[in-house]
Amino acid sequence: MIKLHQVNKSYDQFQAIQSVSLEINKGEIYGIIGASGAGKSTLLRLMNLIEVPDDGEVEVNGEALTKLSSRKLRQARKSIGMIFQHFNLVANRTVYENVAVSLALSGFPRTERRGRVMECLRFVGLESLMGQYPAQLSGGQKQRVAIARALANNPQVLLCDEPTSSLDPNTTAEVLSVLEDVNKSLGVTIVIVSHEMEVIKSICTKVTVMENGKVFETVSTSPQGVQKIDDNPQYFVEQLVRNGAIDHA
Amino acid sequence: MPEILLQYEAEIFQSIGETFVMVGISIVAAVLLGLPVGTFLFLSRKGHMLDNPFIFSALNLLVNIIRSFPFLLLVVFLIPFTRLIIGTAIGTAAATVPLAIIAIAHYSRLVEQSLLDVPKGVIEAAISMGASVKEVVFKFLYVEARSGLVLGLTTSIISFISYSTIMGVVGGGGIGDFAIRYGYQQFKTDLMLYMIIIMVILVQLIQFTGMTVSRKIDKR
Repeated sequence: MIKLHQVNKSYDQFQAIQSVSLEINKGEIYGIIGASGAGKSTLLRLMNLIEVPDDGEVEVNGEALTKLSSRKLRQARKSIGMIFQHFNLVANRTVYENVAVSLALSGFPRTERRGRVMECLRFVGLESLMGQYPAQLSGGQKQRVAIARALANNPQVLLCDEPTSSLDPNTTAEVLSVLEDVNKSLGVTIVIVSHEMEVIKSICTKVTVMENGKVFETVSTSPQGVQKIDDNPQYFVEQLVRNGAIDHA
Repeated sequence: MPEILLQYEAEIFQSIGETFVMVGISIVAAVLLGLPVGTFLFLSRKGHMLDNPFIFSALNLLVNIIRSFPFLLLVVFLIPFTRLIIGTAIGTAAATVPLAIIAIAHYSRLVEQSLLDVPKGVIEAAISMGASVKEVVFKFLYVEARSGLVLGLTTSIISFISYSTIMGVVGGGGIGDFAIRYGYQQFKTDLMLYMIIIMVILVQLIQFTGMTVSRKIDKR
């Protein structure tokens, strides 16, 4: 579903991503974890080309994004949803309008927009708040609106950049269960960047550990295995492999 | 009603009308040209959507130069240009040329500032949804910055009124010119004071309207 091949990205002198290759399969909930500055958010932004790689290839839904014209790229982005740590809703638009704008961008038939917006809001359980403005919502509700907005155009992939990092534990669980639902009932492939082990533990099926702009290790998760992951990826991966708690991907 | 106001009623109304024409055209210029110039200043900045050092520096320099002229000198400096496009450099119509130019430069800066206040994440979200530059501007930036854009325009309009008061030098007329010629130069101090009161009321009304509108449309 998503393939990165030998991707590099640097800012001035700083190499944020160093020849990273990875492959994410359809239907996975794929976690990317690492300390801050490890390059995980940059890696996620390369997957919809919000960050343009210096070299290497990015392929999503079978399309080589790096080779598309800017018009085609915009088209391709419509089937790649994205949500953010700070939600990034338009504060001057209502919940309804925030979702509707995403349909307007994709040229979704005008007469069917209302039905589709309501469908998405119902999915995240917020149809009753359609007339509210983001400032009137809790963090968890805002993130659910953002999920509804990202789902409006039936994306194949949902990229999540620290989706729960500004939420409290209860709300985190609420948002994660929505994401799990998105994956299970809509079959959307999900990529989650997080520095919180809880998140990875609770829903990811596979996890990549990043360190200094490189993929340190990619492992499939098993409940016992992931528990031991901490801030020292080298240590935890060695430990996990030794204990047979995880399999190399 | 004080007698002196009745005595000059016709002239006063005429000068108020001239002020409205000069300020009105400045507002139109600010919105139709200042808004796009400010938007391009924002978009062409380093790290923004149309990152282009050449366009940015050119616009930036132009706006700075216009704004650094003492306004009276700008009016004089522009006389040949005014004559070229209006046919004369004298009168209310001619006065609108330098006013429109300063209006564009003035408002474009405030537009740029308002757009810089829009959280970068909102723009990023828009791009991730496949929005084109035009869509980002109209469906996201202007929507999110709208209260700042209105407040900026309010501030600009008040400056335009101030600028318009010196247009007497090219026969532009207006309340300020009337106050100088009749109130100051003919020693009718009370008449001058009344004109100042009219200006104060005008500015208060504009400020109040601008603040109210900007608060009403701000849902952040």
